Amino acid sequence: MKLLLSWLQDYVDFDGSTEALADRLTFSGSEVEAIDEIDGEVVLTIEVTPNRPDCLSIIGIAREVSALVRNPLRIPEVRLAETGPAVESLTSVELQDPERCARYSARVLQNAIVAPAPDWMQRRLELCGVRSINNLVDITNYVLLECGQPLHAFDQSRLTEGRIVVRRAQPGESIQTLDGVDRKLTDDILVIADASNPVALAGIMGGSSSEIQPSTTDILLESAYFDPSGIRRTARVLGLSTESSYRFERGVDVAQVDWASRRAAALMIEHAGARLGAGAIDQWPTKPAARRIACRPNRVRDLMGVEVGDEEIREILTSLELPVEAGADGALVVEVPTFRVDLEIEADVIEEVARIYGLDRIPAPTPRSTLIEAADDAGTRARAELRSQLVGLGLNEVMNYSFLSGGALDRFGTGDRDARVVLPNPISQDQAVMRNRLTPQMVETLGRNRARQTESAALFECGRVFYKGSDGLPNEQDRLAVGMMGRIGRGCLDVARPVESDEMFLWMKGLVESLCRAMHVRDVQVRDTAHPVFEEGFAVDVMIEGACCGQCGILSRAIGEAWRMSDPVAILEIAIQPLLTHVFELPKLNSVPIYPSVLRDMAIIVDQSVRHEDVLRVIHDSAPAELTDVHLFDIYTGKGVGECKKSVAYSLAYQSLETTLTDEAVNAFHAALMNAVVNALNAEIRGN
Amino acid sequence: MNAAEIIALKAQALAEARDATSPQDIEAIRVRYLGRKGALPAIMKSLKDADPVERSEMGKQANLFRQELSSALESKASESESGDTVRTPSRMDTSLPGQWPSRGSRHPISIVIDDITAIFRSMGFTVADGPDIDSEHNNFDALNTPGDHPSRDAHDTFYLDNGDLLRTQTSTVQVRVMESTPPPIRIIAPGRCYRRDTSDATHSANFHQVEGLYVDRKVSLADLKGDITYFAHRLMGPGVQVRFRPHFFPFTEPSVEYDFSCHICKGSGCRVCKNSGWIEISGAGMVDPRVFENVGYDAEAFTGYAFGMGVERIAMIKYGIQDIRHLYDNDVRFLSQFS
Repeated sequence: MKLLLSWLQDYVDFDGSTEALADRLTFSGSEVEAIDEIDGEVVLTIEVTPNRPDCLSIIGIAREVSALVRNPLRIPEVRLAETGPAVESLTSVELQDPERCARYSARVLQNAIVAPAPDWMQRRLELCGVRSINNLVDITNYVLLECGQPLHAFDQSRLTEGRIVVRRAQPGESIQTLDGVDRKLTDDILVIADASNPVALAGIMGGSSSEIQPSTTDILLESAYFDPSGIRRTARVLGLSTESSYRFERGVDVAQVDWASRRAAALMIEHAGARLGAGAIDQWPTKPAARRIACRPNRVRDLMGVEVGDEEIREILTSLELPVEAGADGALVVEVPTFRVDLEIEADVIEEVARIYGLDRIPAPTPRSTLIEAADDAGTRARAELRSQLVGLGLNEVMNYSFLSGGALDRFGTGDRDARVVLPNPISQDQAVMRNRLTPQMVETLGRNRARQTESAALFECGRVFYKGSDGLPNEQDRLAVGMMGRIGRGCLDVARPVESDEMFLWMKGLVESLCRAMHVRDVQVRDTAHPVFEEGFAVDVMIEGACCGQCGILSRAIGEAWRMSDPVAILEIAIQPLLTHVFELPKLNSVPIYPSVLRDMAIIVDQSVRHEDVLRVIHDSAPAELTDVHLFDIYTGKGVGECKKSVAYSLAYQSLETTLTDEAVNAFHAALMNAVVNALNAEIRGN
Repeated sequence: MNAAEIIALKAQALAEARDATSPQDIEAIRVRYLGRKGALPAIMKSLKDADPVERSEMGKQANLFRQELSSALESKASESESGDTVRTPSRMDTSLPGQWPSRGSRHPISIVIDDITAIFRSMGFTVADGPDIDSEHNNFDALNTPGDHPSRDAHDTFYLDNGDLLRTQTSTVQVRVMESTPPPIRIIAPGRCYRRDTSDATHSANFHQVEGLYVDRKVSLADLKGDITYFAHRLMGPGVQVRFRPHFFPFTEPSVEYDFSCHICKGSGCRVCKNSGWIEISGAGMVDPRVFENVGYDAEAFTGYAFGMGVERIAMIKYGIQDIRHLYDNDVRFLSQFS
């Protein structure tokens, strides 16, 4: 809201600089967003919070200033010369909907001369951002800015039968508003009508048919109170927001309706030569009951955390024109004036004390050391540990939006369509579906980085996915996605060879194993699977403690090429929860052996179909207790090993906790083991 | 001695020559290997007794030994004479790039959430979590938001077909925790929120907040000021100033907004703080008694404060990020700077 400083001075005196005044307003809740000087006048732009419609006027801000500087507020006195006929002989008001219009007042002025408003008035309006039209309309706007009460002036001669009916619009009715737009009306819309047709959208905008014209002489001056929620609904439905609707939908002062009408009438007599009919029609069927709020000074001190005295509390409230009486048990009872629609409970009154007392005067003590029995947030700590381990493993964390387009998901399969959580009111189709997997955005992220000349990357995202359960209700799950591209697992000098899918797959598998170790997950396996997202033969289920919790593998080449990635890209997507269950468990320690281990190699030639896990299984099935470690150190195919065969070499460590193993003992273990492997796998010992 | 042993001895002598740091060292090496009673003349003498098969190879290696060591000692001597600093001995190019898997990076949003979480943990808060999809009750009704409040409009909030919504604030977690846990409580709730904002340099339809809630007997506005000030000093450094302005939120009464003094210009005015010296951080206030009543708390016996801060905003302020969209662009060249 624009506030003209010289206009403010009509109602309250204050000393000091504009900046000091602006600071005091800001720190009492009316934030001054800008101070501008226009044509030698100072204009403040004030952000009024939605709970304070009483501050949407010069007098409203003057009341705040009056409380802050403790100078009296000067409300202009209005004296009316009612020289015309009795208003009842000139018009009538039929109030059909007192719920939507609690009060409606009308005055009639005759013999007015439409002309430009006086210069000073035009200037004030323009500095406050309101365009000058003519004296009559300008006066209604002037009073609106002055006291916050919207007014409307009708050309009475253009009202059928010269009278007013406040009613709901009827189906099929329409109105052309002052902005020239024809608007179809519904029966939820409150209108001001004459004897036959709507002539204004109540509280929002007048109609063209009764607009003040150069030839207008007789005016019906409306001042009313309209129900905030009704105005808000209508303004929203019609997409129309005006200075008037803005105030009505926040709540104007129902008691001020008549003062505003009188104020405008006096200005019309003075500046348009009008003759005012005697009296006013003032339909106000149900006056609001007086509202009282008890405010306990002890509660004020407790909530503010500062020793503010009873007398100071009383002074602050009184300075805000909140009358205070003594209540039971030392309470101060505030009688809430009608302009303070925001004051409902004791806490509201305490806020009044706090903001005028000054938040800067409230101390800021060191945090209290009382301990509250901690809720279990191990899950959050475990997730933080997971992210930290992934960072330690060399991955960059990414964050993508929670929504994407249905088409982007379709690219990764359409079988999940019915279970997707779709937004009925998305911002755009690109953000219309809640993600039910992280992979599509991970691939897109890799692709976007590749397009920007980043050849290698290893990325992860810990994010939430959304899907409908079998009951049709939305569910959520926290997932981890990893994406890798380029020579991410190689040293910088090893760039000549292109990355093979096998190699990339093993990097990803190695990462999964390392991550599981870091999270103390001991039982992790992979199981071959087929999945449309992955290249055939390069996809596995990740099994943690026997349960499948996601997949990893080499991204299907067709999908990768959509982002111009023709080299192997590895993708992992798994549920996070199974990774978190053991992270805070202590490791079970074994004593470190004091006797040396003895190494023996085992190089065998087997069919190419024999898998690493087959060899391990046979070794473990036949191993003596002294076998402590097995690792693969060579795979060879080609010359010397025969068609469809491969040579694999393992290093085996034997060790005893009780004694130093002799060569003879180890040789015996190893020979037995070799024998078992040869028999079980139909293997041939290499070098024999 | 055989040929291989001569080669090994040569390697030892060359290493000693390379490590020599003074003319005395150089001379000592010369005497030890090439001198009349040195190792090499001894080898030459032994040749006549050697196996004839090996003799020629041994002779060849002995000659190479003499040549290489002599030239090594000569160049060392000239290096020493010319006054050049004798280099620290090294067998490899130690300036080659190191080879170890590079460290990754946390996303700046994660860093800020982790930082905020750590600070409030140190003050006795625990972390609570809640779903992104929540009910209108938890997001609005229980938080005392009027039925026709503009923020409820489908223009600002994403609703789902079943009437649930994407939470517009992590205050939903407040409601969930209070409905399930008796006071006192002291929690923070970091999480993702959604508003129907068209994306631009400062708006994102999907963003993060950290909600805080402290409910106990006699929690006051002073506690709120003290805790937020302590937090500010831990997050931005002890020099930061905090100021509080009255404001309005439906779920707190009194309500405040708070600003930090600009950490870039220290309050003198710059581009980051738009020349005001202050940066608006977030809203807070004393929990409205009607919220307590909605969740079944005794609003007379207990008071509390709540706050909610935007994580992206703090990340942008801390790191000087100009456009919120950088945070969701995931360019590795941006992310890896947070290693």
